[in-house]
Amino acid sequence: MSNRLLHLDQVTKSFPGVLALDKASLDIRSGEVHGLVGENGAGKSTIIKVLAGVYVPDGGRLTIGGRVIDPITPESVHAAGVRFIHQELHLVPHFTVTESVFMGQEVRGRFGLDTGGMRRRAEAFLRDVLAVSIPGNRLIRDLGTAERKLVQIARALIDEAAKVVVFDEPTAPLASEECATLMHAIARLKDRGISILYVSHYLNEITDICDRVTVFRNGRSVSVFDDIEDSTGQDLIAAMVGRELEDLYPENRRTPQASLLELENYSGTGFRNVSFRLRAGEILGIAGLIGSGREELIDTIYGLRRSTSGTLRLRSRQLRMRAPKDAIDAGIVLVPRDRRHDGLVLPMTVSENVTLATLDAISRFGLENRRRARQQTEEQISALDIRPSDPEKVVRLLSGGNQQKVVLGRWLLKNADVYLLDEPTVGVDVGARSEIYALVDRLAKDGSGVIVSSSDPGELIGICDRIAVMMRGEIVSVLDASDLSLDHLISVTTGAEPTEAAHG
Amino acid sequence: MAEHGSPGRLSRLVDTAPLLIFALLLAYIAFEAHNFFSLLSFKLILNQSLPVVIICMGLAFVVMAGGDDVVSGGIDLSIPATAVLCAGIIAQWLATNGSLPVAVALAAGAALLVGAINALLVTRIGMTPLLTTLSMFVAVVGVNNVVTSSRRINVSDPVILWLRDGQIAGVPVGIPIVALIALSFYHLAHRTRIGLNMQAVGGSRDAAETSGLDVKKLQSASFILAATTGFIASFFVLARGSGSSPGVENNLMLEMVLATFLGAAFSGRRVVTLWGAVLGAVLVAAISIGFKSMGVNVFWTGLIKGSLILAVVAFGALAQRGRR
Repeated sequence: MSNRLLHLDQVTKSFPGVLALDKASLDIRSGEVHGLVGENGAGKSTIIKVLAGVYVPDGGRLTIGGRVIDPITPESVHAAGVRFIHQELHLVPHFTVTESVFMGQEVRGRFGLDTGGMRRRAEAFLRDVLAVSIPGNRLIRDLGTAERKLVQIARALIDEAAKVVVFDEPTAPLASEECATLMHAIARLKDRGISILYVSHYLNEITDICDRVTVFRNGRSVSVFDDIEDSTGQDLIAAMVGRELEDLYPENRRTPQASLLELENYSGTGFRNVSFRLRAGEILGIAGLIGSGREELIDTIYGLRRSTSGTLRLRSRQLRMRAPKDAIDAGIVLVPRDRRHDGLVLPMTVSENVTLATLDAISRFGLENRRRARQQTEEQISALDIRPSDPEKVVRLLSGGNQQKVVLGRWLLKNADVYLLDEPTVGVDVGARSEIYALVDRLAKDGSGVIVSSSDPGELIGICDRIAVMMRGEIVSVLDASDLSLDHLISVTTGAEPTEAAHG
Repeated sequence: MAEHGSPGRLSRLVDTAPLLIFALLLAYIAFEAHNFFSLLSFKLILNQSLPVVIICMGLAFVVMAGGDDVVSGGIDLSIPATAVLCAGIIAQWLATNGSLPVAVALAAGAALLVGAINALLVTRIGMTPLLTTLSMFVAVVGVNNVVTSSRRINVSDPVILWLRDGQIAGVPVGIPIVALIALSFYHLAHRTRIGLNMQAVGGSRDAAETSGLDVKKLQSASFILAATTGFIASFFVLARGSGSSPGVENNLMLEMVLATFLGAAFSGRRVVTLWGAVLGAVLVAAISIGFKSMGVNVFWTGLIKGSLILAVVAFGALAQRGRR
C-alpha cells in the first residue's frame, strides 16, 4: 500500500502464562483516523505499549514511513514522529498552561527562558490547531477536564514533528458534552495531515470519527474494517466478541423478594440522578466503561465519597453515609476492586484477616477470643474452600482467587443486608471464579441483596437478575439478564446502540 | 465532571490564615515594642535573617522537586546541620592553620558529600526524605561535635569580620550579598529549564516522567543545591556568631521549616516558592527579634514558634484537602 505510514507486522508478546499478542498486526495510513477496538484483555494496551517502546516484543517488527524501527524504544519512536496521548492526564495542577505545554521542552531565551515566546506559541497552537482559546497563564487546576486534555495534546504536538498520534481512551474522563470539543480537535489534526490511532471502548465514537478500524480479539488482529461508513457498531461487536458465554455460572435463578435498597436521584462526584431499587434475594449488575461512574457510585454508597444530592433508603429508612463505618453499621459491605490495597492486610494471616471486621463479636472486654477466631476462620475456610486451608497462612502468599475468597469470607461473617462487589473476579483464575459465583448466588439466596459492578459483560449476564448500564455518569438502561445476549449488553454499554435514559 | 470545586470563602480563609496569624503577631509586637518598625530595626531584622534566608531557599528547592506533602514529599532537614558543620570546619581550620581558602574548600567538600548522601539515599535506595534528612541532621551535628570538640571557636578572619561589620552606603554588607544570591537562585528556580523541570517533578512525578524528564537526576540536584545553600549560609552563621558555636542548628531548623512553609501562603499558586521562602524567613526573623525586644522568655518563644509551625503546616494540609 503506497500511503501506508505505520505498520506493526506480526507482533508477538507473551508474559508468564499468557500470550498477550499472537502475531497481531496494525497498519495506519497517512492522514487517517484509525480505530482500535477489542474487549478487555484483547491485547489493545499491549500493542500500544509495544509501539511506545515500553514492552519489548518477542517477535514482529515496526515500520514507520518505510523505515524499520529497531530497536523500538521510547526515543526511537518519538524520533520517528509517534506521539502518545495517555489516558491519564499527567499534568501538574499548579503549573500554567504554557509551562505544561512546554514541560521538558522549554525554550531558552537570552536570560534563562523565553517565557513570552513560549506563551505566544502555546496560545497560538491551542487556537490554530485545536480551536480553543485558553490563556497561557491560566493554572491547570482552574481548567475543566476537556481543556486539560487539550493541553495534554498540545504538549505532545507542540514541536510540530508529530506524524502519528495515539489516543488511548481519550474521552474516558470526559462528560458527554465535553467529548464534542475533543472530537473537533481530532478532526482538525486530521485536516493537517496527521494520522491518528484512536483506541476506545466507546463504539459510537469509533464509528463517528474513524476512517478504518482494526478489531483485536484474544491477542490477534481478527479483522480490519476498511470502510467504516458501511459498517455499524453491531458489526464491530460481532468481530470483537466471537465467543459464547462460559459455563461458569450457577444454574437456577433466585426469586427476589421485598425491596431492600432504594436510590432516588442519587448524585455525587462522577455520577448523577441514579435511581434504582435492589430487592432482597436479588443480584443487580452494574455495567459501564471506564469513566461511566460505576466505581464512584459504589464508593459513594459505601461512604468512601460523599453524595451531593438525592436519597438512599435501606429498608425504607433514609441514610446518609459519611464514612464506611456508617454503611457497615447499616448493613452494607463492600468487597473492593483493589483487594490488595483496600481489602486485605497482606502481611497478616488468613485468620486475622477474616476476623478483622468481626472482632467486636468475638471479643470480650477488648480481648480477642483467639479460639473463637480460629474456629470461625476454619468454618469459613471450609465453606469457601480457601486453599491452602491453613488459618495461619500469611495472606500475601495466597493466589488471587483465594485472596478474594478471604475478603468475601470476612464479610460473610457479618451477615450483611447488602453486598457491594466491585470487580469481584479481576485477577482470579477460572476455577476460583466459579466458586466465587456460587458464593454470590448463595448470598442472594440467603436473602441479601447483591450489587455486582463489573467490566466483564459475560459475568454480569451469568450471575445477575438485572443489569443497570451506566454511561458518562448516568444509568442509561436497566436490562433483564435472563435472556440478554452478550452482543446486546456490549452494544448498550459501548454506546453502539443509542438508548433512552431509563430508571428501574 | 470537574472535580475541583469553586474556591469558597472558607478555602480562601484557609489559604490566607497563616499570613493573618503572622500579621496579627507583628501588629501585636509593634504595639508592645517601641520603635519596632523603625529603619534601624528593619536593618537589624534583615541582617539577622540572612542565614535562614539562604537555607530556606535550599529547602524550597527540595520541596519544589519532591512535592509539598510534608510526610512523603521533598524535605531536607539536614541543611541547618550542614551549615553548622561547614562553619565548624572553617572555624577549626582557621584556629589551627589559618588559611581561609583551604578551610572553604574543605567545608564545600563536606557540604557536597552531605548533599550527595541525601540524594543517594532518597533517589537510589528509595528512603523517604523526611526520615533520611532527619537522620542526616543528627549525624552531621555529631560530626560537627567531633570536629569542634563541641566547643565554641572564635573567628577573627578579616573576611568573616567584614561580613559581620562591613557596610555599603550604610547598609550591612551581608544584605546586598544575600540579595544577589537570592536573585540568582530565583533565576535558577523560575527562569531556567532545570528549575522548571524540578518543579514539574515535585508537582507530578508521572507528568515529569511522561515528558521524558530524568526524575532521579532532578531530585538529586535539589539535594545538592540544598547542601550548597548550607555551605553558603555557614559564612553568615560565622559572621552572626563571630565564630562557630554548638547548638545553633536547632533554632535554624525551626526557623527554616516555619519560614519555608509559611512562604507558600505568599505564592499565588499556594505552593512553596523561592521568594515566598525568602519573605517567610524575613517575617520569622522579625517575630524572633520582636519577642526578644519585648523581653519574652526564651522558653515561651520556642513554644510559640513550635505552635506556629503546627498551624502553618495544618493550614497547608487543610488547603490541600480542600483542593482534592
